[in-house]
Amino acid sequence: MQDLLVQMLEGTVTSLEIFFLTLVFSLPLGFVVAKGKMTKIAPIRWIVDLYIQIMRGTPLILQLIFVYFAPFYLFGTSYDRFTACILAFVINYSAYFSEIYRSGLQSIDRGQYEAAKVLGFSKAYTFFHIILPQVIKRILPALGNEVITLVKDTALAQTIGVAELFRVAQTASSREFSTVPIFIAGVFYFVMNYIVSRLFTIGEKKLNYYR
Amino acid sequence: MENMIKLTGLRKAFGGLEILRDISFTLPKGNVLSIIGPSGSGKSTTLRIITQLEKADDGNLEIAGETLFSSVDGKAVYTTPDKERAIGLKTGLVFQQFNLFPHFSVLRNITEAQKAVLRRSKDEAEEKAISLLRKMGIADKAKQYPYQLSGGQQQRVSIARALALDPEVLFFDEPTSALDPELTREILKVIRELAEEKMTMAVVTHEMHFARAISDWAIFMDKGVIVEEGTPEALFGDPQEERTKKFIASFEE
Repeated sequence: MQDLLVQMLEGTVTSLEIFFLTLVFSLPLGFVVAKGKMTKIAPIRWIVDLYIQIMRGTPLILQLIFVYFAPFYLFGTSYDRFTACILAFVINYSAYFSEIYRSGLQSIDRGQYEAAKVLGFSKAYTFFHIILPQVIKRILPALGNEVITLVKDTALAQTIGVAELFRVAQTASSREFSTVPIFIAGVFYFVMNYIVSRLFTIGEKKLNYYR
Repeated sequence: MENMIKLTGLRKAFGGLEILRDISFTLPKGNVLSIIGPSGSGKSTTLRIITQLEKADDGNLEIAGETLFSSVDGKAVYTTPDKERAIGLKTGLVFQQFNLFPHFSVLRNITEAQKAVLRRSKDEAEEKAISLLRKMGIADKAKQYPYQLSGGQQQRVSIARALALDPEVLFFDEPTSALDPELTREILKVIRELAEEKMTMAVVTHEMHFARAISDWAIFMDKGVIVEEGTPEALFGDPQEERTKKFIASFEE
């Protein structure tokens, strides 16, 4: 039993690595994608739109397989499973985050940009100090939803052989002819997401000082 | 008298539709100009071009002796971006919808641009903000957030925010149109006080009595042209053009 828990904690560490690395890259990248989707330059907009459609329109599990195996079939080279896994998660989640950002950016009244312009704020200052804080407040609930989904989606990394929590649980389950490890994994996911959702609630409360 | 604004031959079209056709006027330093006219006449667009929220298609504009754009071969050619910004700081604009920053306190709404744009120290910016809030009669609201204020109070904050940058000329784009009559009086009183201090201002408004009382010069615009202009006594008391008469009569009840 103790061995099992140690293995599962190791799996959890891998799951958390996938989780945090995906966030670190896809949260900022999502903004770049959102900007691309909103640009006046039509070819860029079309390409970005197609990318978002593909990411949202196909299963993440398929994207994982594609990202991991495509280089092998195309160039005969293979690479690290974990790197492939992060890459697939980042390109997938950037697309989802970008749509959340876009909804937030487009909900900001034009008057905010105009007031900032008339007062002489630079474009960068306007974005980071006037627009972005208001966007974050508005998108926080939607962002929370997506981040919770990401915690559970890390289980898909096992498809390309990454030893994350769910794979460890499944392996233990078939070794011991018992479903207990699977249920323990369920508790682990629940605890992680409970923390995530509490953090988002705190964030929302902190931004409640204005309307 | 020295001109604060000298605008000649301004033209502007949106998607082939001509919004402004040959608008010219001057605003001498220390004077108040009121611009009246029906919706869609181009009043707001004119202010938005002078305050650089829109680009002119053609014409010449001098603000405090500096050229923002001039007509070259039938097209408005703008000065350098640096000069555009410098000229922009000479002008202030008060919006119909206030456009305060909701995530900043009243105080920070007024200090932010002073610190970030004019590089004033925190103490200096706050001192300025407090004295302006006192002048607006809302010094007790400094720590509150815009949503906690009435529309009239929000508009006074936005006037203080504009004045904090010491503009040489202040524009008002229908400053009372989002307010009920009682709150409208609050704002008109503030603008009247600024006029008494010889602040150079141009006001787009539907408040005819107010326009008549405070302005040195009045312009009536319709369909992108200046139909008639004159002293307020002449324009409101004895309009010459049929369209002006009709428009002013529509407010008499």
